[in-house]
Amino acid sequence: MHAPASSSTQEPYEPWYKYGVAFLSFEMVIAIAVSAYSLFMTFHGLGGFPGKH
Amino acid sequence: MNTNKVEQLIIATVGFFWCFLMWFSTAAFSPSIAAHYHLSIKALGLLASSAIWMAPIGRVVAGWASDRFGAPRTFAVILTVCGLVSIASAFTQDYSLLFAERVIVAIAGVSFVVGIQHVAQWFNANEIGTAEGLYAGTGNVGAGMGALVLPRLFGTDYHAAFLWLGIIALVVAAWYLIRGRAARSAEQVATARKRSDFRSTAFVWSRYIAVALMLAYAMSFGLEIAMNAWLPGYFTHGFHAAILALGFTNVAGLQIAAGTFAAVESFCASLFRPFAGFMSDLFQRKGWTPLPFIARTLPYAPRLHWLGIALILITLAMGSLSFAGLTGSLHTSVLTLVALGIFISFGTGGTFALVPLLFPDRPGTAAGFIGGVSTAAGIVYPLVFSASTNIHMGYLYVALYMFVPFVLFYFWAARHERHPEEHGIFTQALAVEKA
Repeated sequence: MHAPASSSTQEPYEPWYKYGVAFLSFEMVIAIAVSAYSLFMTFHGLGGFPGKH
Repeated sequence: MNTNKVEQLIIATVGFFWCFLMWFSTAAFSPSIAAHYHLSIKALGLLASSAIWMAPIGRVVAGWASDRFGAPRTFAVILTVCGLVSIASAFTQDYSLLFAERVIVAIAGVSFVVGIQHVAQWFNANEIGTAEGLYAGTGNVGAGMGALVLPRLFGTDYHAAFLWLGIIALVVAAWYLIRGRAARSAEQVATARKRSDFRSTAFVWSRYIAVALMLAYAMSFGLEIAMNAWLPGYFTHGFHAAILALGFTNVAGLQIAAGTFAAVESFCASLFRPFAGFMSDLFQRKGWTPLPFIARTLPYAPRLHWLGIALILITLAMGSLSFAGLTGSLHTSVLTLVALGIFISFGTGGTFALVPLLFPDRPGTAAGFIGGVSTAAGIVYPLVFSASTNIHMGYLYVALYMFVPFVLFYFWAARHERHPEEHGIFTQALAVEKA
C-alpha cells in the first residue's frame, strides 16, 4: 500500500487502483507500438496509420 | 441497488466512448457522403467543422445539467437524443436535412463534462487523477476508433453505420439510466443540485483559478483538436518535397503520409492521458512541489505543480516544432510532434485531476466552463498558424504570444496558499453559504 505524503491523500489506495494502473500502462504500450509501427511504415514509403493504407 | 465506483467508472467510460464514436462518425464517412451528394470542397469543410460547433456552449449547459439532475439522467438524455437523430439520419435522402441531423448528433461531444462530474462524485481525492484519466483517455479513443473501424466495418454504407450507432446508443442510454448512480451519497447529490444556480455558476466563471485552468485546457485539448484539423495540411505543404522523397508521389499518398503524422500526435495525446492523471496522483503522493511561485501547502498543491510542468513543456514543444520545421528535417518535426502529443496529454490529464478538487461542490459547472469554453481555442490556433508568412513559424507565435501569457497567468492564479478558489472578481456579491 502507498502512504501519501500530502495532507489530502493520507488514505491508502483501494484495490481497484493497481488494475487501473495496469490498464493505463497497457494503453501506453499500445500508443507507443502503433506510433512506432505507423512511423516506420511511413518513413519507408510503405503506408501509414492503420486504416489509411 | 448494489454498485461500486469501478462499475460507475466503466459505465461513464463506455458512455463517453460511444458518444465520441458518434461525434466523429460523420467525419469517418465524409468521403462517402461527399461522393453521394457531389459536395464541393467548401461544403465538405463545412460538414467537417460542424462537429465542433456545439461543444463550447453545449458543454457549459451539460455541466450545469449534470449538477442539477445528476450525471446518469443527463448522459442518458444525450445518448437518447443523439441515438434517435442518428437513426433518423440513416434514412434521410436530402443533404440539408442530413447536415442538420449530423450537427445534432455532434452534441454527443458535450458528454465529456457529464462523465467528468460523474467520476468526480465517486472517487477519492488521492485517486482522482487516475480515475478521471482512465475515463477521459479511454473514452477519447472512441474518436480514433471511428476513423479506424467504421469504414472497415461498413465500407461506404454510412446509412447502416448511422443506424447501428444510434441503436447501440439507445442500449447504452438504458444501461446508464438503470445502473448509473449520480454520487456515492445523497448529500453529494443534494449539494451539487443546490450549487447549480446562476449565482454559483457566475462564481465559478469569475474565479481566477478557474480561468487559469480553462486556459490550461485550451493549451492542451484546444491545441489537440486544432492540430487534428491543421497538421495534415501543414505536412502536405511544409514538407512536400520530403514526403515525395519517401515515395508518396500522388495526392492519395501525400494524404496517407500527412494523415499518419497527424494521427500519431492525436493517438499519443489520447492514450497517454490516463498516465498523466496517474502522474498527478504520484506528485500528490510524493508531495513534489518543484516550481517557484505556485502554492506549496495546499492539500492539492503537488497537482498544481504537475500541471505547471505540463504547460511549460507544451510551450517549449511548440517553439521546438517551429525550429524543427525551419531545419527542413521531416524526422525531427515528427519526433517533436510525438513529444508534443505526449505533453498535451499531460496538460489534459493534469487539468481534470484538479477541477474536482478545486470545486468539489460544483464539479459539473466547473467542468462545463473549463472543458467547454476552452474548445473555442481549437478554432483560434489554426487561424494564427495560417496567417503566418512562413508556415513553420505559427507554432512559435502561438507559444510566445498566447501560451507564455497563459502560463504566467496560471502561475499567478495558483500562488495562493489558502483557498485559491476564493480569489476572483465580485467575490463578495457571489459568495454563498457553505454546504
